[in-house]
Amino acid sequence: MTATPSATPSAVPSASGGDVVSIDRLLRRDTDAAADVVSTVSDSVARVPLVGSLGRTVSSAGAAAGDRGGDLVRSVGNALGAAAGTAVDVTTAGVRAATARLTDEPTGALDDWGRDPVLVRNTMLLAQLRWDVTTGGDQVLPKRRGALIVVNSPRWALAPLFASFAISEAVDRPVRFVGRPDDPLLGSLARRLGGLLDHPDEVAGALAADELVVMGTERTGLVGASARRVGPVDHTVIGAALATGTRVYPAATSSGPSRRSRVEIGPATRRPRTRRGPLAELELADRVRNEISDLLDELGDIATGTPLDWLPIVTLGSR
Amino acid sequence: MAGKRVFVSGVGGELGSTVAALLEDEPWVGTIAGIDANPPRRRLARTTYHRIHPDEHDRIVSTVIDFAPHVLVHIGVWEPHSRANPADAAMLTDRATTSILGAAAECSSLENVIVRSGTEVYGRARGALSRPSETAPLRPTSQYGRTLVALERTAADVGARVGVTVGVVRVASVIGPHVPSPLGRVLRLPAVPFAFPADPPLSVVHQSDAASAFVAAASVGLSEPVNVVASEAITASQAARRGRRIPIPVAGPGWAVTRALTHLVGAPIPDHVSEAFTRGRLADNGRMRELLGITPQRTTPEVIDDLHSWPSIVRQPARKQVA
Repeated sequence: MTATPSATPSAVPSASGGDVVSIDRLLRRDTDAAADVVSTVSDSVARVPLVGSLGRTVSSAGAAAGDRGGDLVRSVGNALGAAAGTAVDVTTAGVRAATARLTDEPTGALDDWGRDPVLVRNTMLLAQLRWDVTTGGDQVLPKRRGALIVVNSPRWALAPLFASFAISEAVDRPVRFVGRPDDPLLGSLARRLGGLLDHPDEVAGALAADELVVMGTERTGLVGASARRVGPVDHTVIGAALATGTRVYPAATSSGPSRRSRVEIGPATRRPRTRRGPLAELELADRVRNEISDLLDELGDIATGTPLDWLPIVTLGSR
Repeated sequence: MAGKRVFVSGVGGELGSTVAALLEDEPWVGTIAGIDANPPRRRLARTTYHRIHPDEHDRIVSTVIDFAPHVLVHIGVWEPHSRANPADAAMLTDRATTSILGAAAECSSLENVIVRSGTEVYGRARGALSRPSETAPLRPTSQYGRTLVALERTAADVGARVGVTVGVVRVASVIGPHVPSPLGRVLRLPAVPFAFPADPPLSVVHQSDAASAFVAAASVGLSEPVNVVASEAITASQAARRGRRIPIPVAGPGWAVTRALTHLVGAPIPDHVSEAFTRGRLADNGRMRELLGITPQRTTPEVIDDLHSWPSIVRQPARKQVA
């Protein structure tokens, strides 16, 4: 019962035969174009079950309207269907683009360092139950080259781990962290999450391969003033960055009992003047430590919005 | 530069014959000769093959000296449980290395020595680097690793004594069609053991990539070690799942039972393979491009996929039934 575009114009009464022909052509062209668009939209939306049914509904509505009201109405219906379909198409394309990084990651394999992208992705989703991390200053990090990011590391806060997850999500690159144990249980899990041994040669290898590496300072206390200071930075690992010509970035982490956490990355620490011996790494380590301290001062204390904020203790690495 | 004489030891094996075949196409290579206990696995157009057992010391020496090579590519290394049991493999490797490198040292024409080694030389002791580069200390923790370190030392001594450059190609486990790899055999079993809960990552290299690395090393006159490893890594359980095998978790003393069982079914697990399963084995291949000008064509998962896609037994019916 579908009216064909070629048959309908001859039934339209008109004083001017030429106008009828031109309208006929116009309608044919529009109808064909609309049909193409609807076909494309239908194909694209068919891949997404929920929006697929919506696209089919819109298309059938357009077709039904065409049946009832002739070609003009039909073309308007198709155009509406096409517009709605295009909007759906744009939406699905956006969703696809947003998930592209996740879906493009290889499955059933590890990267050169033994990091498992699938496990990292799932752990990051799981970690969001504990931390809702806001990352700032990630634009200062290099897009392709390696970098060593040094974060303050209060005891039990797992700062290098959650910082590596947060930075990885912000810069859309794998980020590794220093400090995995070398045992078959936790060490293996940490390795699959991107952990590196706390060894200067191991870190130097990763930096030479243009990887982003997060390392923590020495752990500080859990409560009170000790939680507010920044521990010493391992100068041998800093030496690895110097040896590979990699920039070192200070970063302040802040987390509390609530989920809200923050990672603020500062600009690259300026290198001290050239030294012939290992003094350069000691000076750079001190400088990084001071800059992390400054970043923490700028960050301020984290507020949970709960009576916990009134307590004098600063728990789990909060500042 | 053209017209160099290249001598390939271990030319009968899959890797050695592939290297010889590639060398035949190199414009700088003049004549090629090679020795092995077994004939080459493929047709070689202009390589002179000498069938000599590693025990035949005098014949090896006279053959090498008569050929007077400019470049020696020493691939004659026996991996434990590839074609010989671990004790024989170590002995054969040692004898072949001493005879061939010793003979080459007597040749005044010798300019460059390329030797095959492996990433087993770094060892996997507790605290060892996850992905050692060429500068990492050599602390082997397996018999094969110790054999390879001894080989490298012999080559370095010979090089220092006669004043020629020595390049060391440290290959990961070589896997490819017809390569007698103990790791490959285990991964092709219907049920593949993996270390529980560690299941550490390991990397391998395809036979064609390894062969290309040896040819490139000879071509550029490599004078230092280089790791030749495919990109990415895989765990034993992942390899099993990719090949639709059954992954079997094994822990602690279970490995002794597993080794005995796999030995019974024709896939013995030498200690360096066992170590790769329990501690993992990766190596930094970052200097391959810099030193050799090549990069591996296949990633580790691709090599493993290839491993699983090879037909087990190709049955060719007789064209004419006579019995």
